[in-house]
Amino acid sequence: MRSSKFDTTNLLCGLLFIGLGLFFAIQSLTLDLGTAFRMGPGYFPLILACALIQFGGIILVQSLRIEGEAIGHIAWRGMLFILPAPIFFGLTVRGLGFVPAIFLAALIASFASSKMKPLTALVLSFCLTIFSILVFSYGLGLPFRRFGPWLGF
Amino acid sequence: MKTLNAIIGATALAAASLMSVAAGAQTYPDRTITMVVPFAAGGPTDTVARLVAEAMSKDLGQQVIIENVGGAGGTLGAGRVANAEADGYTVLLHHIGMATSATLYRKLPYDTLNAFEYVGLVTEVPMTIVARKDLEPTDLQGLIEYAKANKDTVTVANAGIGAASHLCGMLFMSALETPLVTVPYKGTGPAMTDLLGGQVDIMCDQTTNTTKQIQGGTIKAYAVTSPERLDVLKDVPTAAEGGLSDFQVGIWHGIYAPKGTPAEAVSRLSESLKLALVDPNVAARFAELGTEPSPETDATPEALKAKLEGEIARWKPVIEAAGEYAD
Amino acid sequence: MDFFSNLALGFATASSIENLFFCLIGVLLGTLIGVLPGIGATATIAMLLPITFQLEPVSSLIMLSGIYYGAQYGGSTTAILINMPGESSSAVTAIDGYQMARKGRAGAALSIAALGSFFAGTVATFLVAIFAPPLTAIALQFGAAEYFSLMVVGLVSSIALAHGSIIKALAMVSLGLLLGLVGTDIYTGTPRFTLGIREYSDGLNFVAVAVGVFGIAEILRNLESEKTRSLLMAKVSGLLPTKDDFRQMIAPVLRGTVIGSALGILPGGGAILASFASYTVEKRMSKNPEEFGHGAIAGVAGPESANNAGAQTSFIPLLTLGIPANPVMALMIGAMIIQGIVPGPNVATEQPALFWGIIASMWIGNLMLVVLNLPLIGLWVKLLTIPYYVLFPIIMAFCSIGVYSVNSNVYDLFAVAFFGFIGYVLVKLRCEPAPLLLGFVLGPLLEENLRRAMILARGDPSTFLTRPISATLLLIAAAVLLVVLLPSVRKKREAVFQEED
Repeated sequence: MRSSKFDTTNLLCGLLFIGLGLFFAIQSLTLDLGTAFRMGPGYFPLILACALIQFGGIILVQSLRIEGEAIGHIAWRGMLFILPAPIFFGLTVRGLGFVPAIFLAALIASFASSKMKPLTALVLSFCLTIFSILVFSYGLGLPFRRFGPWLGF
Repeated sequence: MKTLNAIIGATALAAASLMSVAAGAQTYPDRTITMVVPFAAGGPTDTVARLVAEAMSKDLGQQVIIENVGGAGGTLGAGRVANAEADGYTVLLHHIGMATSATLYRKLPYDTLNAFEYVGLVTEVPMTIVARKDLEPTDLQGLIEYAKANKDTVTVANAGIGAASHLCGMLFMSALETPLVTVPYKGTGPAMTDLLGGQVDIMCDQTTNTTKQIQGGTIKAYAVTSPERLDVLKDVPTAAEGGLSDFQVGIWHGIYAPKGTPAEAVSRLSESLKLALVDPNVAARFAELGTEPSPETDATPEALKAKLEGEIARWKPVIEAAGEYAD
Repeated sequence: MDFFSNLALGFATASSIENLFFCLIGVLLGTLIGVLPGIGATATIAMLLPITFQLEPVSSLIMLSGIYYGAQYGGSTTAILINMPGESSSAVTAIDGYQMARKGRAGAALSIAALGSFFAGTVATFLVAIFAPPLTAIALQFGAAEYFSLMVVGLVSSIALAHGSIIKALAMVSLGLLLGLVGTDIYTGTPRFTLGIREYSDGLNFVAVAVGVFGIAEILRNLESEKTRSLLMAKVSGLLPTKDDFRQMIAPVLRGTVIGSALGILPGGGAILASFASYTVEKRMSKNPEEFGHGAIAGVAGPESANNAGAQTSFIPLLTLGIPANPVMALMIGAMIIQGIVPGPNVATEQPALFWGIIASMWIGNLMLVVLNLPLIGLWVKLLTIPYYVLFPIIMAFCSIGVYSVNSNVYDLFAVAFFGFIGYVLVKLRCEPAPLLLGFVLGPLLEENLRRAMILARGDPSTFLTRPISATLLLIAAAVLLVVLLPSVRKKREAVFQEED
């Protein structure tokens, strides 16, 4: 099992935890630390951040001793289309209104898969929109305007 | 009960349609009105809003729906309304926090006094000074002496910065001129639990949260903070009777609209609010919460404006003296 | 005896045709909305709350309770089928339930969840009916020090959640704890780690974090290999659990019921530990701990029972004290007040029909849930035959709506995207999301109670040891830690991991 090569995955993992730990530690230091008996807002997070850095360090050291499997494919296309979908919905639900926002968000997410054909995506988004309007807008009466002010309503 | 409601509703609707005929070609409102509540669904403010909104819907002939925009002590919801279209279709129902957040938050995204039109006051919920049931003092005077004598050990619970109980607690300490040990909680539920369990000593909170516990004998009440005794708590003296003459505080609620909302819309809403407040269903539900609807003279833009300005001025020194800010 | 006449009154109230109807509607609506991905019990109830306002008080509360169980069961269904937990409790179910689904045993997992929940619900309902007042008295003994010690037990046991590297699990818990602290510090009002964004001042939204690190990360993982591998579900074998499954689930269900009932009573966040604690116990008790994380039946049966038992007993503080134990209960109180019932310590004597009616309807609701859902399992499992590329735009749309509907906060949706990204990165780095989520829910409770205990004890740390319940809990924590760190046990664990790798 052992080899002189190192485990890239755990190397990155260790670095990530150290980085996140440093972020929280630095932020904590800007807060009032207080004392162990009267803790300030920074006390508890600073301890946690130090623990996180330490764990990151151990993972880092371990990664140099064991060879691991490669990271493998990364879903670039997935990230490109999946992650913006909720953001897009959030930014447009008030302006465009609920109907166009949910339609477009579903459409954007559809293109994350290379198997999706444009026509299927349109039909799917359309059906989904109708369902959402019936259930959430009419059925449950969620307080979102169906068409927003950006469309001149 | 159901039929009674239906009759009231029908009468209100009929009255409303008569009024709109009288006013000529009045078109507002011609679609749903959104009432933003800057707190989570299910809380005391949300309850007040839903009761009032339902009654207003009957009069306006359009649904008034509640949108909960909680967070940051109510300032997110207020900010949302401050920046909303001033067309009369978005209004805000906020409580005393509208006034106190002007001082509690040093960086507000809106200018409290200049970002809103005023519709009117809705209700003022009184507060109660309560304690765990085995605390020694028997009356308010005794409590004050006890607190002064044991100021390092007496603990005052509150439901977090900016909460009604936090404000009242600060006012209580400033009235006593004695700082006590403050124990904050995340919300009224856990604070009340610890009071029931005897883990903390004192709390000052709205009747909405305390009335049933006082009636049930699970906590001890020392005073109500209203000018008169309350019907639901007849045995509890007012703070003035107990020796704190200036100690009057209530969680008042008001309805606001974004600055620039047409005057006709504002006055229509204000009329509708007045009608809602005399709705017997609203009055009955409010009474169970230990509060009553604002009188007709207070459900006006002028009264709300005066209240807000007065309360900002009143709380500023109290909050600054305590030195506790929420940002 | 009073108890039987009370219970009879309760069943008489709950089994009127009208109330049975509303109970059924509640369970049905709760299941249907709760099963939409990214929409958990809290969001479901918040959405359905206005519908209940038009009803009589007893009916509306019975319907709301029905919605609650339905939503919770619906949430477990999405956790099992698509790894998308909508509440902290179903996050644990997702670990092994989803693995079972991937092995084609989705039907069995759903049945086990339904049957375990029903059993736990029945037991817990009777606990509520018989022992509500004395249990309340015990719950009130829990102060800040006790809660802190309880959270320490939870934290120590979290190590068992990991089926990979312990050190990574610890790092994930720490990261989760830190993320849980994001928001305004309640003691000083100082905003922490909010990057100056006021929308995060009340902390990160749980659903946003859970959906991100579990659901979206899983979607992305499935997308990465779609060219090379035809999709994820093996053929579905047998909808119902086999005899062997039944044999395996009995003990975990019993233990889960006990754990869930006990923790659900504590209003200060005990119930969120229930499913995590049950999982830990099952993994420790199991003869084959290596199965956990790869579709262990006990890993579904235990936590699901614990979760449902906790859901029932968390009504105890509400019914005996009028105090909500969690956000869902807070919504119920809002509903009661609007109906003209202000809940308080006297609700049982002032409104016996309401009080006992709700208790009876708890059991009826659970019965309906199981009757309704066993036939529906076939339908849910069929959903898995929908091609994945059709499923995930639907998932994304529903989670956007679900997350946004709770607080109308756009930043919650930004958090979904951000945690989806982080979750995916962590999955790629072979870290598991469950410990992170446990840390996330424990973080604020741990710190809050630690600091509160110190204030109440005037800065004397011995309070944790001089208070008997707290001391006992800390002893338990120490015992768990000892077991984990004992060399022989550790060796066994390592051997187990090597098999996995």
